[in-house]
Amino acid sequence: MANTAEVQCPRSINDEDRARAQMYQLLGVLLSGPPTGELLHGLASLQGDDTPLGSASKKLAALAERTKPQDAEREYNNLFIGISRGELLPYASYYLTGFLNEKPLADLRSDLMARGIKASEDIKEPEDHISTLCEIMAGIIAGDFECDSGLASQKAFFDAHLAKWAALFFTDLEKAQTAIFYTPVGSLGRAFMEVEADAFAL
Amino acid sequence: MDNQQRENSRRRFLRMAAIAVPAAVAVAVAPNAAAEAVSSDAPKSSGLRDTEHTRKYFESARF
Repeated sequence: MANTAEVQCPRSINDEDRARAQMYQLLGVLLSGPPTGELLHGLASLQGDDTPLGSASKKLAALAERTKPQDAEREYNNLFIGISRGELLPYASYYLTGFLNEKPLADLRSDLMARGIKASEDIKEPEDHISTLCEIMAGIIAGDFECDSGLASQKAFFDAHLAKWAALFFTDLEKAQTAIFYTPVGSLGRAFMEVEADAFAL
Repeated sequence: MDNQQRENSRRRFLRMAAIAVPAAVAVAVAPNAAAEAVSSDAPKSSGLRDTEHTRKYFESARF
């Protein structure tokens, strides 16, 4: 298939959009695997004010400060891998249909194909994993892909693949029994999804 | 409301929502991208994937 999209200069983005892309990227990294010591160290410097997003950031910083990488890894495994299964299944398909690899994944795959985006070879989860969706949003906002990176394109992806379930998943993460470090990750994600939904509605 | 006004109010809203990630974190998260732009090849359909997550799930779902 010939790739007819023109090569474009990297989009110059404003500070707010860069911050959004970084927030998606951060959530993507935190949910794709246990945090490294380096990431925990970086998270400990997060600051925030009294907005929901700010207070979640502060709680995350406080927990990152006192969480060891091996503890975070055990927690990640309990939450998302488990002995038989993790406490949570962070897939769009599961949240929307009750089963993995159902129509929401198929819809996502055709959207990604239309946008010229594919998962890296070394990513083993189905693409509708929350971490992959967050990283794709980050990439669309930052203009990393050849597809349209404008607001309408971002909104279309958000509405189609995140709006119906991501806030619910982050709420579940916030309340998960085995979560400690990941509790404020859930709060941060939930608050951010609410901000995104409201901002797209403006 | 024209586009510029809409863009401005959106930016103002985002600033008030305190969206900001310190540079330290931005650096720490950089090298881990899960998705990439397609190069020249057409994306190939991978069908149902066999992964640790799905295997565990199917195991748990067995009668």
